[in-house]
Amino acid sequence: MFKLLLRRILLGGLTVAIVSLIIFGAVEMLPGDACTALLRQDAQGDTLRVCREELGLDKPATARYLYWMSGAVKGDFGMTAHRNKKVSELVGDRLKNSLLLGLCALAVGVPLAFALGIAAALKRDRWLDLTVSSIAIAAMTIPEFVSATLLILVFSGWLGWLPGIVTASANAPVSAFFPEIILPVVVLAMVMTAHILRTVRSSMLEVLDSDYVRMATLKGVPYRRMILRHVLPNALLPAINVVALTVAWLLGGVVVIETVFNYPGLGRLMVSAISDRDLGLVQAIALIVSTVYVLVNLSADILSLLANPRLRTSMARSR
Amino acid sequence: MKRFITAMAIGALALTAQANPAGTFRQAHEVGFGNASDVDPISKGRVFAITEKIMNRLVRPGMDGKPAPDLALSWSSNAAATEWTFKLRENVKFHNGKAFSSADAVYSLKRVLDPKIASPARGTVSMIKEVEAPDAKTLKLILTTPFADMPLVLTDYRLMMVPDGSGDTIKTTGIGTGPFKIEKLDPQGTTVLVANNDYFDGPPGVAKMEIIGIPDEQARFQALMGKQIDLMQGITRQQRQLLERSGSFSLNDIPTGNWRGIVFRTDTKPWDDPRVRRAVRMAVDRKAMVDLAAGGAGVIGCDTPVGPKDQYRSTKTCAQDIAGAKALLAEAGYPNGIDLELPVSTLQDVWPAMAEAFQQQVAPAGFRVKISQVPSDGYFNEIWMKRPVSMTRWNDRPADTSLNEVYRSTAKWNESFFKDTKFDAMLDAARAELNFDKRRAKYIEAQEYLWANSGTLVGFHATVITATTGRVKNLDLVENMGIRWHKITVD
Repeated sequence: MFKLLLRRILLGGLTVAIVSLIIFGAVEMLPGDACTALLRQDAQGDTLRVCREELGLDKPATARYLYWMSGAVKGDFGMTAHRNKKVSELVGDRLKNSLLLGLCALAVGVPLAFALGIAAALKRDRWLDLTVSSIAIAAMTIPEFVSATLLILVFSGWLGWLPGIVTASANAPVSAFFPEIILPVVVLAMVMTAHILRTVRSSMLEVLDSDYVRMATLKGVPYRRMILRHVLPNALLPAINVVALTVAWLLGGVVVIETVFNYPGLGRLMVSAISDRDLGLVQAIALIVSTVYVLVNLSADILSLLANPRLRTSMARSR
Repeated sequence: MKRFITAMAIGALALTAQANPAGTFRQAHEVGFGNASDVDPISKGRVFAITEKIMNRLVRPGMDGKPAPDLALSWSSNAAATEWTFKLRENVKFHNGKAFSSADAVYSLKRVLDPKIASPARGTVSMIKEVEAPDAKTLKLILTTPFADMPLVLTDYRLMMVPDGSGDTIKTTGIGTGPFKIEKLDPQGTTVLVANNDYFDGPPGVAKMEIIGIPDEQARFQALMGKQIDLMQGITRQQRQLLERSGSFSLNDIPTGNWRGIVFRTDTKPWDDPRVRRAVRMAVDRKAMVDLAAGGAGVIGCDTPVGPKDQYRSTKTCAQDIAGAKALLAEAGYPNGIDLELPVSTLQDVWPAMAEAFQQQVAPAGFRVKISQVPSDGYFNEIWMKRPVSMTRWNDRPADTSLNEVYRSTAKWNESFFKDTKFDAMLDAARAELNFDKRRAKYIEAQEYLWANSGTLVGFHATVITATTGRVKNLDLVENMGIRWHKITVD
């Protein structure tokens, strides 16, 4: 068991290392470098040489990679291209905001998704199931920017109940994001709930149809006890992985929502770094987001390992 | 009668009484420079929406389009218009309490001229040879060439006055003499400005301003719809309809000097013949073009780059003339017409419709236009000034700057490669003429010369729609650069 955990963690570390190589390599392969990107038409002669020396671009690629990685491990990603802020400071604020948005959306979305998914499966093909499933499909298929725009129009434009756009600064305290954060949380929770709900519902149905549940029913196990003891633990395992993927998506992949609501998160910072051609910042964000992906998936694996007796015992036996 | 007089007196009091600054005015800006955004007025990343409220120029654009006093009260020049003297306003204080004097003005202008700083505004004032301060309240400019409209040049929105020696700190402190001062600077989030009660023109109308960075255009509009911001400039016609239906916004059309056009390189065949390029421009129906491409939101003229509100604009009009165009083409040796390719990108939303209107309008005159799609990315590097024919756009500039930047033989961005010594001489003569009426006649003559000879079709000058929430009062209905921000109030 312990050995297995260790192997998973080592594998996770290796994945991050390989990803960092790919990110560094991809940026290396771009035509030009951070200096030509920054200086644009002024990139020639002495100006270019001085800039390259300042940024250490005159050193060989391997030395620069090692320097970058040794900094990154300590949480130091150097300065932004315009030399006015520390990358770690800039990314730190944005990461905090992305976490805040993600956690709020999770707090709303996950309990809702589980409750609705379980209810829908238990009332299979009845009106509750039909309503929940069709709303979920609608929420999944309508693109986020459409639902976001509609919500803003209704709640901010017509009714005037909620602010439509986030105006808080990136480094503002958490309290400054309320109530502005409500609409983006609702939109994210909608999409997320729909995805998780459908997974929960179908794995519930699978378990409900299984032989051991039929056996339990035939043996006369009370309905409530059967659902709680035999169905739920087995049905909810696959949902853990879906939740994990959702968490990773919430942290780095909600650029559209962030743009529509003007939310100062990591996704929007990435987009502006790209249009600014701030390669150092792009590298740092890419590395952070991929590390988060690896971490979240790792914890999901470990969780399902701990929660699933079959996985545990099969591991023990193969040893 | 007595009661009437009392009522009058109270009314008059209410009008003249200087109310204390009250309320918060909120505006968005597009964070066009991302991380490089700052409040150094002459840097590449200056956030104009902030600098215009915290700083002053020497001379500002007046409501009538003429230069008006700002930190300079009056000005005069020598007979040759090569030396200008500006009398500066007294008792003006910077936000840090320091008095404004000629030393600050000298410093501010020398910074713009400094090649090491390489400010984008440097080209605008390149005619200044020396900046001097004969005494604390006088500024003297010595020019390399005669220049009658020097005060107009100083109305450029970047030529703001900053404290002597503040070059290293100004981009984060933003210390100026303006009606508002910075409380918290955060160009990518929300910048908070507070009223400067010591402002030389009296305390401003609003107590607080929030300038919010919202890069996405749609998000800015949604913020306006939800009344999270009070002002948005340049909304579309569709957005206008939405706002009109809600009834709680005020909408205004403001003509600008921003123009959209098609440029023909006068150094390539067949456009090297003035008759051919004149013919193609004669064949255009400008009214129909602006209606089709911009829903009528524009002002048409005769291929003059000078904006509709500019005091030097030629008011000549020109109707579509297919017969005349055909005759000119035949005379130039193209009786069977001309084939041309027009590359169009969606960089400007009006370009595609403009190109199609152009294609249809000039066809009867014998111009067979093939429209080709090109990417927006890199348009100004790879298409503009490279292909024989291309779409173009320019932002507002004073008449002289516009005529010189776009058409002078030696101009860096002479997009039509228009090399005409006669035209250059006309500009020099206008610059050196100190009598306003005579100077105006000379600038108009130069614009009419362009109509006859240039390779640039100026389709129209765009009109922008400005939307404000109903609570905003006293906003000047002029282009952004001329708004007196201290005058506005909010309910």
